[in-house]
Amino acid sequence: MTRNKFLYLVIPIFNKRKFYMETQYDAIVVGTGVSGGWAAKELCEKGLKTLVLERGRMVKHIEDYPTINDDPWDYKTGDVITNETKKVQGKQSRTGYTTTESRKHFFVNDLEHPYNETKRFDWMRGYHVGGRSLTWGRQSYRLTDFDFEANLKDGIAVDWPIRYKDLAPWYDYVEGYIGVSGQNVGLPQFPDGNYLKPMDLNCVEDHLQDSISKNYKDRLLTIGRTAIITEGTKPGLGRMSCQYRSRCMRGCPFGAYFSSNSSTLPAAEKTGNMTLRPNSTVSEVIYDADKKRATGVRVIDTETQEVYEFNAKVIFLCASSVPSTSILMQSKSEAFPNGMGNASDQLGRNIMDHHLGVGASASTDDFQDKYFFGRRNNGIYIPRFRNIGGDTDRKDYLRGYGYQGGGSRRSWTSKVAEMGYGAQFKEEVLKPGSWSIGLGGFGEVLPYEDNRMTLNHDKLDKWGLPTVTFDASIKENELNMRKDMQQQAVEMLENAGFKNVRGYDGDYALGLGIHEMGTARMGRDPKTSVLNKHSQIHDVPNVFVTDGSGMTSASNVNPSLTYMALSARAANHAVEELKKMNL
Amino acid sequence: MDRRKVLKNIGTGIGAIAVTPTVVSLFQSCQTATGYTPVFIPQEDFGMVSNLMELIIPTTDTPGAIELKLPEFLDAYVDGVWSQEDQARFAEGWTAFKSSAVKASGKESASQLTLEDWDVQLANCLKSESTPSEDDLAAAFADQLRGLTVNAFKTNEYIGENVLAYAPIPGDYKGCVDLQETTGGKAWSL
Repeated sequence: MTRNKFLYLVIPIFNKRKFYMETQYDAIVVGTGVSGGWAAKELCEKGLKTLVLERGRMVKHIEDYPTINDDPWDYKTGDVITNETKKVQGKQSRTGYTTTESRKHFFVNDLEHPYNETKRFDWMRGYHVGGRSLTWGRQSYRLTDFDFEANLKDGIAVDWPIRYKDLAPWYDYVEGYIGVSGQNVGLPQFPDGNYLKPMDLNCVEDHLQDSISKNYKDRLLTIGRTAIITEGTKPGLGRMSCQYRSRCMRGCPFGAYFSSNSSTLPAAEKTGNMTLRPNSTVSEVIYDADKKRATGVRVIDTETQEVYEFNAKVIFLCASSVPSTSILMQSKSEAFPNGMGNASDQLGRNIMDHHLGVGASASTDDFQDKYFFGRRNNGIYIPRFRNIGGDTDRKDYLRGYGYQGGGSRRSWTSKVAEMGYGAQFKEEVLKPGSWSIGLGGFGEVLPYEDNRMTLNHDKLDKWGLPTVTFDASIKENELNMRKDMQQQAVEMLENAGFKNVRGYDGDYALGLGIHEMGTARMGRDPKTSVLNKHSQIHDVPNVFVTDGSGMTSASNVNPSLTYMALSARAANHAVEELKKMNL
Repeated sequence: MDRRKVLKNIGTGIGAIAVTPTVVSLFQSCQTATGYTPVFIPQEDFGMVSNLMELIIPTTDTPGAIELKLPEFLDAYVDGVWSQEDQARFAEGWTAFKSSAVKASGKESASQLTLEDWDVQLANCLKSESTPSEDDLAAAFADQLRGLTVNAFKTNEYIGENVLAYAPIPGDYKGCVDLQETTGGKAWSL
């Protein structure tokens, strides 16, 4: 009899597993990209029972990387973006590289996830476990006090509530854990870090490095600092050194580059404290006006449309800037009629990116007998050399830019074309062509209050949630900077004696850098900012937002490393505050 | 266009093909050999385009365009990757290329053109030092066709794995090495 009763109970539990899922946790983390992975790892390792919510599907390390060993000829038309793909991923294809056959499964379907553009805004993202940590560019740079003090000095927007010294130990910690290769160069505007051995420059890059050092006192060229293991190993799922296949965006079977899937999520899972729930879109954070705290989140199961509530003592929004901000905007209550933490009316404003697509390229007939071995998925870097004091200060724009780029030796050049066609032409096509080199600027975008995202409640997605509308663009400061970015790139390449030097200023719209940020900025004053110095919402201190939302200014360097450092720092602060019974 | 100059230039195309007997049968059979039904190139033109591609990438000690099925790749590529505007321009260029080839040969229609006629036309477009302005569309088409053929050639499995230097898992990176020692002078395929 007892046995029968037991069976009777087990069957419905099995069938309705989700219904019986635990609803009370110590912490909830929303999102599994670079920020969510870090928050999950830190919170779980500190002993908090943590529910990690991901709106997209499950992606398991290696197992769910279906294209890792594909060659271009494994696709009918090569590894390119097809017309079929553009039909469903038109906006995701705007970079020209994100949705090729080997990568498209890591970017959203635009028909399922629409957004609106008052002005063009490029919003490329992937909804799955690991988020954009699977497809990121891996360039890992530290912000400096030139960045943290910039708004105060320029009288722009609001002051950052932190300085380099607050974040430096967390940069050390994160770099040491994920593995970043690079070279220390001793520039105050480009802080050194905790690096694995740097990758090689190739012949033309080496030549440009020498030329820049000879011709300029204010700048230098170094190898990119990238979150790729170049020696030894790092914690995670059997992570090992780079094999130089240059297929990073498909997921790495060697775990050589950092992703949540290979590194932080396995660490969180190992503690036994993590419950990971994919296919779970958070629609809002629930607020208790009496306690003046958030009590949990409301979740829509994207497969069943069922709605669940999960409760926790602390909530980390790590869904990336636009979705985290959307969740806060949707979290309306009597206390927060315009969205949680939005007393300042800053939520959704000050959206920034890095403006790029401007620079110069060139070629050379030298080094014909030289080549490279292996495919290095990393480029060169020229750190910022503008507006850092003295002679470097400009009258025509604020802030600065760096260059990324690299030398390459491809085949099929115009020289070959001169041979026309036929047998000799065929032979030439099989040989490497001339070396070429390119420098592309990455410029800082200022925070403008009227560059904003809003929610459109008349146009809902298939889960009944409002869609995002972007109304933002770069302005005079960025346009002036772009002129200098192109001019300096041309000049450096000409000074190095390269041929066919051509400047370009391409078709840039905000978002194309895939660094959207700043929509729930940190600040000192609740009247003018959303988050405090620990990434907590001023008015709801048990809600932390540790992705790009909190950026008070953009700096000119790639931001992911900073999001990781901010996430780790905030998670540790949350744990301390919980211990002190402050949350 | 100086006709004599064109004929002198032809050598690299036809001459190289002529020494390889298997090519003859390939040419004869190319319109039906694979039973391939083109999706973009008109069925009746597929053989002509294939012949042109074989002139661009002929069979030498390695297979040429037809044996490598580069025409099939090109057909799928233009259909599957190019925008409608680019497809229309390509089709327009092909029509112009054909009619200028017919005109140059003194014959009545494209179906009467021999391999040598096509070779003259390609040479006119790709080897001439100054392209006659009324032939701009044709020359632009020839240039596009060459680019597409090279792309198909370099995206080909046999070429990528056996002819070019193929290293799917290099295991290391060296930025500046000797070309001959590293690949014997060949380009990397990936």
